[in-house]
Amino acid sequence: MITAAATLPILSGTHEKPADKRKHIIVPPYLKPGDVIGITCPAGNITAEEIMPAVQQIESWGFRTKAGDTIGKKDFTFGGTDQERWADFQHMLDDTSISAILCARGGYGAIRIIDKLGFDKFKAKPKWIIGFSDITVIHCHVNRNMNIASIHSKMCNSFPDDWSKAEPVQVESILSIRKALAGEQMLYTAIPDPMNRTGTTEAPLVGGNLKTLETLSGTRSDLITAGKILFVEDTGEYLYSIDRMFWNLKRSGKLDTLKGLVIGGFKIKPDDPGEEFGKTIYDIVLEKVKDLGYPVCFNFPVGHQKENYALKEGISHRLEVRPDSCTLKEIK
Amino acid sequence: MYNMVKIPAYLKPGDAIGVVCPAGYMSYEKAQVCISTMQDWGYNVKVGPNLGSTSQNYFSGTDRERLEEFQNMLDDDEIRAIFCARGGYGIGRIIDRIRFGEFKKNPKWVIGFSDVTILHAHLYSNFKIASLHAPMASAFNEEGFRNEYVLSLKNALKGAKIKYHCPAHEFNRKGEAVGELVGGNLSLLAHVTGTGSDIKTRGRILFLEDVGEYLYNVDRMMYQLLRGGKLDHLAGLIIGGFSENKDTERPYGKTAYEIIRAIVKPFPYPVCFGFPVSHQKENYALKVGLGYKLRVGKSRVTLEE
Repeated sequence: MITAAATLPILSGTHEKPADKRKHIIVPPYLKPGDVIGITCPAGNITAEEIMPAVQQIESWGFRTKAGDTIGKKDFTFGGTDQERWADFQHMLDDTSISAILCARGGYGAIRIIDKLGFDKFKAKPKWIIGFSDITVIHCHVNRNMNIASIHSKMCNSFPDDWSKAEPVQVESILSIRKALAGEQMLYTAIPDPMNRTGTTEAPLVGGNLKTLETLSGTRSDLITAGKILFVEDTGEYLYSIDRMFWNLKRSGKLDTLKGLVIGGFKIKPDDPGEEFGKTIYDIVLEKVKDLGYPVCFNFPVGHQKENYALKEGISHRLEVRPDSCTLKEIK
Repeated sequence: MYNMVKIPAYLKPGDAIGVVCPAGYMSYEKAQVCISTMQDWGYNVKVGPNLGSTSQNYFSGTDRERLEEFQNMLDDDEIRAIFCARGGYGIGRIIDRIRFGEFKKNPKWVIGFSDVTILHAHLYSNFKIASLHAPMASAFNEEGFRNEYVLSLKNALKGAKIKYHCPAHEFNRKGEAVGELVGGNLSLLAHVTGTGSDIKTRGRILFLEDVGEYLYNVDRMMYQLLRGGKLDHLAGLIIGGFSENKDTERPYGKTAYEIIRAIVKPFPYPVCFGFPVSHQKENYALKVGLGYKLRVGKSRVTLEE
């Protein structure tokens, strides 16, 4: 025992988690008709009425839905107290009759319950976790610690009340959730942006909301990006703040050994008068990666916008950025 | 266990203070009172080229210009203290290009707060060199140069030992703590987490302040410190001003102080709220890195070097 203990300090320099040692991502079973999707609120609140368009649409795909106890709950901005949101999510994780967990909306709050969640049953029998924005917390936590794939996509609050009046890209975005859940091979195209850096790469896809990635830095949910294609998006942030967040990625080593970088939508909060930042999102990104050779694509259809396709986190994709085209394709 | 922190030489009359703008733009006029006040205090003031520069955007100059100005002040033997005229945003863009070789051999005071928190954290965690979290140029305006907070900077520069009092706040947790003082702006401390400027807080007294943040974001940043292991082994916690908080359309339902109180509830160390370190007038000069005794009593709080 003493001998073993004495050797520990030598090993303590490697912070590799068990999840990293696994070669292959664990892919939860894709859904079949009749499978149940649980709907829960780990962050902001939503009413039972507000999830109806999503429920109807999802049931039209042949899946069943089960609304969790937090639907209709409200504790100020939260969808219930920490205890209520934790209990509902835990139930969804543990209930074997539920095949996927759809987060009803983002907002703020997942970080307040993530460390209380028990993932043992989920690890033994993985299921799809679906959402984005604040749900980036859960994607990163599950990816880093369990190496289980999840789906970054629109949530209940983005389903249109009147399907017939919805814009085609919004319809397509929502239908991409069905495709992802059904296990169809995903293929995305982005309008080639003149500022893109061309190249082709194949690697697992990870990422999400930039601000959330920054606030996970240095915690046990911190995303490991080495050897991956990273995608980021954000909304309502000042340019200076976006710049600062990219510095956090760079200075915490998250940009050094990427295979590719995908920049989604960035709805920018206008500079205050007299405080013009003087750099565009292109400048901000490209200066951070200028000495690194991997492909970079801008304006990819992911983010707080109508065109926001379902992306499978953790799954390998082929990113092809050419002068006249830009595609991301799931490797099957 | 401790490498003793290196304390730069305190200033003597006639010593030179270099005024720099490493982040946001500031006009010369806005720093005029500050410059003449520091001259009245008996110091020579050398102003870098970025104060009142011709920059047309947010920054006081390009990254290169801001870097050069700061680097020159660091390397210039005559300069005994570097005073950041304002914060804003920008030091994070240049910090990894600053060369600290000369500074490490011949430490000098680096002064400021807000965005300057990144420098305080970087200097403490990488070189164990003390620095001054203190009011910047705009605090001198509108008769500010006479107030006790700006004068606390004057005293700190001379080498006077720090001893501050403030009234007790109803949220305080009583007790005594001894430890090195670290901290600054919460947003910046959250931002440097996981980078080469990240601070260790174990066994230390941590102080925090912030301005203009959404309440949910204050909560999120506190969770980041918590989950990064930065709150569980503190000697003590000092909460300064959390001013001009913003709220979401649907109210968050807790004040910044309520958020912080709830997060540090499980820990045994003393905590004080409403300490005069903030983006408002109440902002005492604090020597970051030095050992302090914090006493959180029934009716008042004392922080003593």
